[in-house]
Amino acid sequence: MFRRIALYMKKIIFVLSFALVALAVFSYDKAKENDKLALALSGQYAKRMADASEKLDELNIAIEKSLLFNESDGSKKAREDIWRLTSDIRGSIDSLPLDASFSTAWSNYLSRVGSYAKEADRLSNSGDFEKVMSKASKNLQLMSTDWQVATAGLVDGRYSMNEWVERLDAKSSDVDWSQKGNSVKQYTESDFPLTASESDAMKKKDLQNITDPEVSKDEAVSIFKQVFPQVTNDVIGVEKSQPGAPYPFYHIRFASNQTVGYIDITEKGGHVLSYLADRPFGEPAVSFDDIKQRTEEFLEKAGYRDVVFEEARENSNAWHFVYVRVEPLHKAKVFSDVIHIKAAKDTGEIVGLNAAEYIRKEKLEDQPIVKINWKTFFHNGVKVEKEELAYVENEQLKQRLAYFLTVTKEDEKGIGTYQVLVDTETKEVLKTEKLF
Amino acid sequence: MKKSILKTIALFMLIMALCGSSMDTSRAFTARDLGRGSTGDDVIELQARLQYIGFYKGTIDGKFGYGTYWALRNFQDSYGLPTDGIAGANTKKKLTSVSEYNEKFVMDNLAKGNQFTHYGGTPLSAQVKQGGGKTEQAHLPSKYSEQDLKLMANAVYGEARGEPYEGQVAVAAVILNRVEHPDFPNTVGGVIFQPGAFTAVSDGQIWLEPNERAKEAVLDALNGWDPSENSIYYFNPITATSKWIWSRPQVKKIGLHIFCH
Repeated sequence: MFRRIALYMKKIIFVLSFALVALAVFSYDKAKENDKLALALSGQYAKRMADASEKLDELNIAIEKSLLFNESDGSKKAREDIWRLTSDIRGSIDSLPLDASFSTAWSNYLSRVGSYAKEADRLSNSGDFEKVMSKASKNLQLMSTDWQVATAGLVDGRYSMNEWVERLDAKSSDVDWSQKGNSVKQYTESDFPLTASESDAMKKKDLQNITDPEVSKDEAVSIFKQVFPQVTNDVIGVEKSQPGAPYPFYHIRFASNQTVGYIDITEKGGHVLSYLADRPFGEPAVSFDDIKQRTEEFLEKAGYRDVVFEEARENSNAWHFVYVRVEPLHKAKVFSDVIHIKAAKDTGEIVGLNAAEYIRKEKLEDQPIVKINWKTFFHNGVKVEKEELAYVENEQLKQRLAYFLTVTKEDEKGIGTYQVLVDTETKEVLKTEKLF
Repeated sequence: MKKSILKTIALFMLIMALCGSSMDTSRAFTARDLGRGSTGDDVIELQARLQYIGFYKGTIDGKFGYGTYWALRNFQDSYGLPTDGIAGANTKKKLTSVSEYNEKFVMDNLAKGNQFTHYGGTPLSAQVKQGGGKTEQAHLPSKYSEQDLKLMANAVYGEARGEPYEGQVAVAAVILNRVEHPDFPNTVGGVIFQPGAFTAVSDGQIWLEPNERAKEAVLDALNGWDPSENSIYYFNPITATSKWIWSRPQVKKIGLHIFCH
């Protein structure tokens, strides 16, 4: 009996020992594999950091070259290099494990250098380019040193991947990342202050143009009840936006039967920013035409009377509609002032509204309309299917009146459809987009 | 007597066989009208039938876009129908009478994610290439791709699957806000995989299979909703380790996440 037990014990011990050895071998292999992966990764990161350092030097040289010429034509090649190099360096920075504040500050500075070089042709005073870029060149040299100091350790192999990641944590870091990020931010503000158009665009985005009187919490709730009477049986909470919000708003959460959702309403004027209701959806039961008609009735009732239908997209439970504001003088569509609607396919009910862009209401200026001969403007084989007018933002963030064309071009792959926006005054192509 | 019974049985079997084969090749459309923006199995049938008779050269994906629109208009023009680019009852009737549709072939290949065409006059077996990936039947604004939808759904599911629906849309919106922001990469993939940007990427949860809710939330964000009110960061105050994130101007709290600029 005891011999039998001893035999079993022996077998169990053998199996356990074997399993232990197998586990140890597996763990060792795994650890080795992880080490190898970490080494490969740190190698890749080190290479990208070193590349970025090299390209920073190249960028500085390109800026110096661009400063040799009086005419913008002379500096064209160097300016193209600046734009390309800033994009490359940004690409490297975006893919590196760096402190978030540091990398975002760098990305911003570089994108501003690149855009400034790209847009230099538009400067009214050519002396401006020299002034700005000389300053940028000086600052880039300082920043380049900072970059080398910050990335040392991974580039020279002093830190393992784990150590590097730990080093990013402010508590255990030997680099003051946020201070380095802040100094880059200061360079951005001093070298590339916001242009008037950029500042206007920011004001619009932050809804600073709304001057309507403030509404109270209760007034916001009654606006909600007025626009969406079907879901307002039980308002479950109204909160004011946090103090850091660029525009104060009320965040109202609600639950009604099986529907749960929210609506954000601005404090100034009580405008609906966005509304979204979530509920279980049934089988589609309402036709597209009926849903569209109900949507338009809703828009009319809610006071969005200057919009026209632009686009519809069907998804599993709902249709997503886009309506766009029409400017009365030229009957031009204003693509910055859109309303998005989500309508349920089972009941036709409006389950989503987004009017955040619509309430910004772009300020539009009239502009001359020059006739353009599309036959000579486009290649042979390009057919203008539809011609409308629209206001659209150009690269300088200014609203421009444009011919809004839908054109097609047929080839062996089929018919390609494109949306082309051409400035009515300058004939500049503001945007070309392939439609699918 | 026996002969006539046998003849009747043979005739019946022939009729059944013919019915069987025609069922395979001429599925009826649903009753609804199809136009630009429509999505679904009936759009798949429409594209397959138009391709069968050579009008449609694009991918059969169930999304009624401009490619389908022009193909349909050309078909309507060729057959003397009103050229409105809408597949109504008369257009569908005409199309069904002049084309064939092998539903099994089309649906099988879509399910397998194969690349295929459905032209008439060429053996269907010769029109299939293995692989290519499954397509989602979702209609997106033209500036976004299906890959964007997939990546974002993975990110939203990995980051916020326990959050309310609004919170999931907000996380998707933050990704899109970053794409538009000069301080961040300008692609969805670039933003999601920026080192250290999202916890779900760091801990591998991004590779979990997203559910329909996460996909729906991403679709809403891609279609313009932004419950985060233009935020470019969010964090969970219970688990956040970065001191810096607390310095960002806070906009709104949704579920467990604080959204900030």
